[in-house]
Amino acid sequence: MDHHLTHEELAALIKSRAGITVDPAAIGHPEATFDEFGVDSLGLLGIVGELENRYGTQIAPGAEMSKTPQQFLDAVNASVKTGA
Amino acid sequence: MTSDRNGRRVVITGVGVIAPNGVGTDDFWKATREGATALGPITREGCEKLPLRIAGQVHGFDAEGAIEGRYLVQTDRFTHYAMAAADLALADAGLGDGPEDPFAVGVVTAAGSGGGEFGQRELQNLWGQGPHFVGPYQSIAWFYAASTGQISIRGGFKGPCAVVASDEAGGLDALAHAVRTIRRGTDRVVVGAAEAPLAPYSMVCQLGYRELSLAADPDRAYLPFSADARGFVPAEGGAMFVAEAEESARGRGARIRAVLAGHAATFTGASRWAESRHGLAHAIRGALEEAHCAPDEIDVVFADALGVPEADRAEALAIADALGEHAARVPVTAPKAGTGRAYCGAPLIDAAAAVLAMEQGLVPPTPNVTDVAHDIDLVTGYARTAELRTALVLSRGLMGSNAALVLRRP
Repeated sequence: MDHHLTHEELAALIKSRAGITVDPAAIGHPEATFDEFGVDSLGLLGIVGELENRYGTQIAPGAEMSKTPQQFLDAVNASVKTGA
Repeated sequence: MTSDRNGRRVVITGVGVIAPNGVGTDDFWKATREGATALGPITREGCEKLPLRIAGQVHGFDAEGAIEGRYLVQTDRFTHYAMAAADLALADAGLGDGPEDPFAVGVVTAAGSGGGEFGQRELQNLWGQGPHFVGPYQSIAWFYAASTGQISIRGGFKGPCAVVASDEAGGLDALAHAVRTIRRGTDRVVVGAAEAPLAPYSMVCQLGYRELSLAADPDRAYLPFSADARGFVPAEGGAMFVAEAEESARGRGARIRAVLAGHAATFTGASRWAESRHGLAHAIRGALEEAHCAPDEIDVVFADALGVPEADRAEALAIADALGEHAARVPVTAPKAGTGRAYCGAPLIDAAAAVLAMEQGLVPPTPNVTDVAHDIDLVTGYARTAELRTALVLSRGLMGSNAALVLRRP
């Protein structure tokens, strides 16, 4: 599977799974943290589950503990690449 | 509760109601006062073919407008109602801007059924699609304690928190627990209950109750104390309050709406309605004693009013046992005949009505009931004007709990 999770897709997942509206541009800010958006690890766990179902592959454990959107995107995109 | 060894008087400074006959305390009281009935067909998806047809469903509640998205996705409808009712109570108490001292505010709720609708959806995902399709919030949303936890997190309340997992009477026990919490040193407790049992799984669970009315005519389905009593109609919604140490309320110039004067609870066994006579009478005597209240000081009784002949008879006798000669004179009412019984929320909706009744000097009527088959002065038809200083709220649960609460005008 060749897919790269984008800021826009992550923003849509945060909305649908964690109920929080986040501007995709804010996600792309290098200093951005999940804390400031109010997204906690249970919220990220729901997003991980959704991505695993969508891509049909496992995402490496620990992605839900990411502190920043960049860490999360890196973890997810690395898993999707190796899992493909 | 007013003057035990710890001395602290506890008052109600905020009331918030989400009920089948009104979202918001003003709409609720208007409908209650007029004896309007809110019973009707259950319209929720998946409920159409179940033998339970009539209930008190909340209409016109805008969850998205009342609750932030992040809390909506994590919670069941019963918690949506509880959070919204808590907001109303806090705003009413003049505490809408959040706590100055987070540790001075606790949260207590009662719950009889938890988040059945949320739980059913996730379990259907589990068996229909597999474990990977169950969201992480299943771990918290169905749980009886969910409303206490979410109100605490959302409001930033870090004082003592608790949940009473019980039958109907647990709603009054939650108020008593809030009083004890305040006596131990917490200034304020956000307290109450809301339930949401009108979803397919939750409704199937209730079908085993022989006290349930399966009648299809909303005006005839729930007729407590009448010769045509055929069981009770369930409901959703509830009420939340701000309970507060009197000196704290006076110190900040809050409007005191009522005094939580006395409470007692007993247990007489599930569906043993004849025995509930003695249990309920004992609870009434205990509540009166704690309130230092003579039987003839009770100006109105908000009855449990199960709508099962044997249970209605036991309640009428319990009132007579506990209040003596005064029982023949005291007005008794059951506004829940127009809303249904929202399990733990039911006696709290009654407590809210009792606070408003004392403020307005008006005993609301028992909707739909015209004939009274028991020896009580049941208020039917129209509201009755009366000087109300003290109200008695009664509740019995299907699992056998009995509770009585004495409220006083400040």
